[in-house]
Amino acid sequence: MSIGSTGSVLVPSMPRAAAAAPAAWRRPVGLVRLAVLAALAVLALTTPGFLSEPSMLALMTTVSFIGCVAVGMTLITVSGNIMSFSLGALVGATAMIFIVAVNFGGVVFGFVAALAFGALVNAAQGLVIGLVRANPIIVSIAATALITGVAEAFAEHGTIYVAAGTSYGIFRGKVAGVPIEFLVLLAAAAVGQFILVCTNFGRNIYMLGASFAAAEIVGIRTWRTVTGVYLWAGLFAAFAGVLLAMRYDAASMTYGVGYEYDAVAAVLVGGTAIKGGEGSVTRTLIGAIVIAMVQVVLLLQGFRPEWQYLIAGLIVLAMVMLQSPGVRE
Amino acid sequence: VSRLGSILSNEPHARPFTILFGCVVLLAIADWGRGEVFTLATAVTTLETFGTIGLVALGLGLTMMLREFDISVVGMFSMAGCIAVLTGHNPWIGLAYATGIGLAAGLVQGLIIVRLRLGSIGVTLGGLLVFAGVAYVVSENRTIAYDNIQVALAMGNRIAGIFSIRSLTAIVIFLAAALVIGMTRIGRDVIATGNDRHAAMTAGVNVDTLIVGIFGFSGMMAALSGALLSFSLASASPSGLSDVIVPAAAAAILGGVSLAGGTGRPLGIAAGVLTLGVIHAGLNAIGVPPYVDEVTMGAILLLVAIADGTYLLRRLRQTVRALKQPT
Repeated sequence: MSIGSTGSVLVPSMPRAAAAAPAAWRRPVGLVRLAVLAALAVLALTTPGFLSEPSMLALMTTVSFIGCVAVGMTLITVSGNIMSFSLGALVGATAMIFIVAVNFGGVVFGFVAALAFGALVNAAQGLVIGLVRANPIIVSIAATALITGVAEAFAEHGTIYVAAGTSYGIFRGKVAGVPIEFLVLLAAAAVGQFILVCTNFGRNIYMLGASFAAAEIVGIRTWRTVTGVYLWAGLFAAFAGVLLAMRYDAASMTYGVGYEYDAVAAVLVGGTAIKGGEGSVTRTLIGAIVIAMVQVVLLLQGFRPEWQYLIAGLIVLAMVMLQSPGVRE
Repeated sequence: VSRLGSILSNEPHARPFTILFGCVVLLAIADWGRGEVFTLATAVTTLETFGTIGLVALGLGLTMMLREFDISVVGMFSMAGCIAVLTGHNPWIGLAYATGIGLAAGLVQGLIIVRLRLGSIGVTLGGLLVFAGVAYVVSENRTIAYDNIQVALAMGNRIAGIFSIRSLTAIVIFLAAALVIGMTRIGRDVIATGNDRHAAMTAGVNVDTLIVGIFGFSGMMAALSGALLSFSLASASPSGLSDVIVPAAAAAILGGVSLAGGTGRPLGIAAGVLTLGVIHAGLNAIGVPPYVDEVTMGAILLLVAIADGTYLLRRLRQTVRALKQPT
C-alpha cells in the first residue's frame, strides 16, 4: 500500500476486487517482450548501415549518458519513490562543477568534486524524503527549481569552458573499439546491479518498494535506505555529467535537459514496475539500448528525428499499460 | 482565540489566503515605502502569471485532490500550443482543436488508469512523453510562428486597466470551478473520494467516472492555457518541458491541496497561484535577478513538502525526547 512517502497519490488507482487473473498471463507478457525484442533485432540487422562503425559508435555514446542516469533512476523507482525530476538538472550542474573544479585544482580534483557534489545534493533530497516522508515527486520538483536557480546565479545561463591545456585525453579514447563512455556505463550498471542483488542494502531497497509498512515492521531504518538510494542515484547521475563535460570540454545547464524523462523511459521500457519493489538495473540497461536502437533504426530508415520522441513515448506508454495488475498477475 | 484557531484550521481557504497575505506583507517590508512594489505594473504581471499557470494548476490540483497526479500537463501544454498555432488562423477553430484534443487525451488517460487499475503517475508519464512527441512531430522540431497577428495583439490588450483575455478566462473558469466544487454533488463527491475512496464508493459515488472526468478536465485546462499562451506569444515551440510543472505544482500545494487527498479548493488554488504571481512580480519590481525567483519558488515548495511530510510530527517528537534525555 505504501508506495512513496505520502503513499496514496502514488498507489494504483483502486484496490478493486483484484481480478483473479490467471497466473498464466504472466508468461504471455514475457513472450510479447521477447517477440518485440526479436522483431527489433531483426529490423535493426536488416536496416542497411546499422552495423556500420559510425552508427554503432553513435548508439553506444548516446546510451552511455542517459544510461548512467537511468541506472540511478532504477534504484529510486525500485525503492518505491517513482522517479526524480531533478536528475536532469543534476547532470548539468555536476558537469559545471567538474569544469570549474578541473580549472581550479586539476583533473583528479574535478572528479572528486563533481562526484561528491552529485552524490551529496541528491542524498540531501533522500534525507528529506526518508526522514519526514515528504512526497518524492514534490521534493524532486523543488530541487529542480533550486538547482537550476543556483546554477543560473553562478553561470548566468552561459556555458563554461575548460582551461586551455588541460588534458584528460585518455578518458576520451576507445578500448578495443568501444568508447570509454560505454565502459563507464557498463561499470555503473554492474555496481548498481551488485548493490541491488548482492547486498543487504539492496534487499532493503526491494522491501521498501514492495511495502513500506512491512519494511518498518521488520526493523529497517527506512530513512537510511532512502538516503542511500538517492546518494547512489546522484553519484550515477554525476558520472553522466562528468562524461558530458569531458566530451565537450565545456558545461552548461542545457546538457542535462530532458535526461530525467529519457532515464525513466529506459527504466519503464526495461520492465521495472513503476510502483516499486521489483525490477533491476540489467532490465534498465536493456531498456536504454532498446530505445537507442529504435532511434538509430528510425534515423537510418529516413524518418525525421522528431519521430524518435513520439515513438519512444508510445513505447513507454505501452510498457506502463502492460504493468496493469489485470495483465501481470 | 481557540475558536478563531478552530475556524482557521477547519476552513480550507484559511491557509492559502494566510500565505498570500504573508507574502504581500513581506514584499511591503522589502519595499520599505519606496512604492516600487505596489504599482499597476505589478498587478498586471501577477494577473498574467495567473493567466499562464492558473488553469494548469487548477487541473493538476483537482487530480491531486483525488489522490492522483497528472504529470502529463507539461506535454499537453506544449502540444496544445503547437496545435493551436498550426490550426488557428481562425483562433476559434485553433482553440477548438487544441482543447478538444486536450479533453480527449485526458479522458483516454483517465480510462487507462481506471480500467487497467494503474497508478496515475506511470500512465501520465507515458502520456507526457507521447504528447511531447506529438508536439515535436507536428512542429517539425522548430519554433512555429502564428500567422494571425491580430489575435496576438488582441491577447495583449488591457481590459479595465489590468486584465487581459487570458487572465479573465482563468478567473471565470476558477469561479465556475469554485461553484461546482462548493455547491454541487460533483464537488462533494470529489472531496469525499479524496478523503476516503472506499467510503465514497460505499456511499454510492461513481469513483471511476469521477476520475476519468477530472483527468479530462485537467487535460482540457492544460491545453487551453497552452493554446492561449501561444496565441499571445504569437509562436509555439515543442521544447520548454518542465517550465510549467514546477509553478503549477507549487501553486496547487501552496493553495492547500495535500498529496494525501481530500483537501484543497479551487479558490485556495487561485490563492496559491496569486502567491506565486505576487512573489514573481514583486521580486521583479524590486529589481532582483530572475534566478532569485526560481530559488524562492523551489525553497517554498521544499518547505511545504516538508511541512506536509507524514512523519514530520513523529520525527519532531523523537527529537524533543532525545533532547530531554541527554545520555
